[in-house]
Amino acid sequence: MTDLLAHQEGARCLLMGNEAMARGALEAGVNVAAGYPGTPSSEIIENLANAAQNGRLYVEWSTNEKVALEVAAAASFAGLRSLCVMKQNGVNVASDFLLHLAGSGTRGGMVLVACDDPGALSSVNEGESRHFARLVEIPLLEPGGFQEALDMMKWAFALSEKIRNIVMVRSVTRLSHASGNVVLGPLPGVDAQAVFRYNGNILDPMEGPVISMPVTAKHGLQQKKLRQAVALFDASPFNTYTGPDAPEILCITASAGYLYSKEAIDLLGLEDRVGLLKLGTTWPLPSRLLAKYLALTHQILIVEEVTSFLEDNVKILAAGMGPEIGVKTIFGKTDGTIPSVGELNPDIVIHALLKITGVDYQGVPADYTQRAETIADTGAPARDLTFCPGCPHRASFWSIHMALQMDNRQGFVCGDIGCYSLAIFPTGFSTLKTVHSMGSGTGIASGFGKLGPFGMNQPVLAVCGDSTFFHAVLPALVNAVHQRSEITLVVLDNSGTAMTGFQPHPGLSVDASGNAVPGLDIARICEAIGAGVRVCDPFDLETTRQTLFDLLESRGGVNVLILKKRCALSPERKARKDFKMSVDQAVCLGSNCGCNRLCTRIFRCPGLIWNKEKKMTEIDEVICVGCGVCASICPSGAVVKKEKA
Amino acid sequence: MHIYGAKQLQEDVFGQDLCIGCGACIDLCPYFKSHNGKTTLVFPCDLSEGRCYAYCPKAEVDLDELSRQAWDGPYTGRSLGNFREIIATRAGKKMSNGNFQAGGTVSSLVASALKHHRIDAAILTDRDGLKPVPRRVTDWREVVRCAGSKLMVSPTLAAMNHGLRDGFSCLGVVGTPCQMTAVAKMRGNPMSKENFADPIALTIGLFCNWSLDARQLASFLSEKTDVSGIRGMDIPPPPANVMVIETGNGQLEIPLSEIKPLIPPTCFICLDMTSEWADVSVGMFEGRPGWNTLIIRSEKGAELVQQARDAGFLETGGMPVDTHMHLSNAALEKKQRSLRTLIRRELINNNNDKRSALRVAPGIVQKILGSKTERP
Repeated sequence: MTDLLAHQEGARCLLMGNEAMARGALEAGVNVAAGYPGTPSSEIIENLANAAQNGRLYVEWSTNEKVALEVAAAASFAGLRSLCVMKQNGVNVASDFLLHLAGSGTRGGMVLVACDDPGALSSVNEGESRHFARLVEIPLLEPGGFQEALDMMKWAFALSEKIRNIVMVRSVTRLSHASGNVVLGPLPGVDAQAVFRYNGNILDPMEGPVISMPVTAKHGLQQKKLRQAVALFDASPFNTYTGPDAPEILCITASAGYLYSKEAIDLLGLEDRVGLLKLGTTWPLPSRLLAKYLALTHQILIVEEVTSFLEDNVKILAAGMGPEIGVKTIFGKTDGTIPSVGELNPDIVIHALLKITGVDYQGVPADYTQRAETIADTGAPARDLTFCPGCPHRASFWSIHMALQMDNRQGFVCGDIGCYSLAIFPTGFSTLKTVHSMGSGTGIASGFGKLGPFGMNQPVLAVCGDSTFFHAVLPALVNAVHQRSEITLVVLDNSGTAMTGFQPHPGLSVDASGNAVPGLDIARICEAIGAGVRVCDPFDLETTRQTLFDLLESRGGVNVLILKKRCALSPERKARKDFKMSVDQAVCLGSNCGCNRLCTRIFRCPGLIWNKEKKMTEIDEVICVGCGVCASICPSGAVVKKEKA
Repeated sequence: MHIYGAKQLQEDVFGQDLCIGCGACIDLCPYFKSHNGKTTLVFPCDLSEGRCYAYCPKAEVDLDELSRQAWDGPYTGRSLGNFREIIATRAGKKMSNGNFQAGGTVSSLVASALKHHRIDAAILTDRDGLKPVPRRVTDWREVVRCAGSKLMVSPTLAAMNHGLRDGFSCLGVVGTPCQMTAVAKMRGNPMSKENFADPIALTIGLFCNWSLDARQLASFLSEKTDVSGIRGMDIPPPPANVMVIETGNGQLEIPLSEIKPLIPPTCFICLDMTSEWADVSVGMFEGRPGWNTLIIRSEKGAELVQQARDAGFLETGGMPVDTHMHLSNAALEKKQRSLRTLIRRELINNNNDKRSALRVAPGIVQKILGSKTERP
């Protein structure tokens, strides 16, 4: 993490896109920032939390994205500048409040940063947050570079105060997580005072109560302000054109697509034929600006990630301007010139331009992919996605899988979002059979658990992490208990929001900035809700499995099993070995009947190596974290654990 | 005998609902587990040959091969199998009174065998609540605790496998016909293990027409009575036609017609009513309460009975011809019924790489199907 307060105005720094956005917020004088962790967004709040230790800035990891947006909105209502950060699907969670917030308007500058994940590199969806800007009628900005990420944040706060509504800034993984040079601006002094005024007229945006009613009146006001934003967008320096005065093709793009397009045009040497219109303000579209550039040519290529948001909106504008600008041929996702799923890259844009221009270009040899695959086949072993060595989830899913198999009633587990989503793969013994949004495993299980009268007699389990428990499982658990659904919820409590980097959650007694706060006890909450609660150490495989049998056979409502063990990468466990592991090669059965490499073929902890020559298991001393679980699964007792002194 | 691996066992036995849950594949490796009367392959195993398949009494059982191994001759299809003598027996004075199903012969023979060091340990079936559980017993005085019929499938052979892992080399095993078949397969060293020495010193087989699915029975009984209060259960000989449940509040009688749907389908492919591969086989003595029918098959079995009688563990008596014939007819009917099912389900004597549950010389199949029951 970079100390964003260490550098002075004018300093040139190498910053991650997320750091640039955090610095932009600091330069805008942000007072309150809230978010829920999610790749690729998490570093923004983390950097601000770090900066909060030195000044008057309040930063929190909220229970979920909706609460984060509400927390940030309160600061705005009190006249402060506030920021809310989340990943793409977090906006879905926050969207109910977002709709009403857009209706009520804001006071102090308020910015929502949504970081999308094209290609779902760290997601189980390819969701697009941009549509929310159009849906709830708020301005949308998309930085197309690192400096712009910083500058645009500052401008977003100013814009928000101009139109008295929330402004959305959308980033993508390749911008959030790549780094570039950024020149820093000044940091303002801190003199903000928080007061919530509510005695004015209901239509007074600064003095009245903050509500979205009277709805049509407020809605009309919101749209009027949005039109003001469009006027500003038409003149915004974030929208730029480079290229000839009379291009053959106009390439319209935004965000990371700008960088890919620039590179593609450069590689193809098409600077004289292709004009590049980079938009920083993508909703509402700057109509006058677009009219000017659309008039330059009849061939338009639209380059964007993920869905055809720009494309659709440009088409609507172009249709309306037809008499003025003429008929256009628009290339993009709809006609297949640009793929409609996955991340973009310069090659994709190159191929799009080749298709339109007919230019002859050989980027990589035609057989490159095939040759690369051939080499990879012989040279690089296949690497599955896997739990880390010593991960408590591997042990937990071992027991869950074993209990369900032995129970032999086709029981299954509904999962959701966390490292444990990997249990759809062999690393978790393919235990998960549904994975959707945060908390949805428990909600789905609650539904399955009511299908007994329709003949369903399969045991129903759900799993969730400790952070997810607070985020979205609670309402589903309440539902399951209240509706007498027959389910077992297994809380895989690894004491932190581990997948995104150990951000704290309400179950922990520390906040985003390291201050002591009350931690909530998951077991007591579940008991209070009315569930039967058991707690086990997942590394104790025998007790965990026996407890699962008890719960699977118990009749009557909801049971919760909390499998509590710190994440192997947590600061508390990292670089600490509880046991020195070894394999007694005289005892190891290897691939013989009686074992058939249970540890390296099925359990598959990366700390275990199959020595092909010796036909024996060995411990990889570098990778093994000494958790000792493999000693419990070895059928012959060949894996030995010795307590570390 | 053809041997395959876990994958084929999964297809042939689990996939065709033939697993009886005898425990033969349990505790040999980490892949097969038994829980509440059901055996499951918990993780895939890709070995082409495994002891799981080699020992399974429902997969590629070659009766000629078993017969040559046990009796030095091909399988004859005789209704009661190979035997020397059939007598009536009951527990002798040396045995304290146990919760015997009939005459207490099994407990008496096992106790005598342990007492006289014919075996180091006995593999028996105990009860945990309603659930039958495998038990290894080394003290002859503890045998009687396991007395009484369980009527349910039990993974008893898991305790045999466990005993062998623990180094026992002189075991006695009590089990049902399917379990005796598995033990016989195991004793033939089908995996050609080097330095193999037969670790089984005694086999006592039980008569069995069918067994009951442990889970289904538990669930069925839980609707009739408080399961935790059940002390014993029995199916008295015809014409009673009921199952008798002993509870703290007296007896509960359940018509057999209600119980029969709980019979695992695999019992209907079993040719063996009297545990033909055991040293001795024990069952009820129809028409003489408090006594057992004992079939003495091997020399070892004859020695065991002689010793038990001499030491006061066992009392013996004669067997009327009618009773013998009645038993023989019942055993033949089971063979005929099951053979027809095996043929209908294409589980017997398949060719062209199609695996079979059972292999029997075709002439013997015809002989059994053509046999007539005898009338007194």
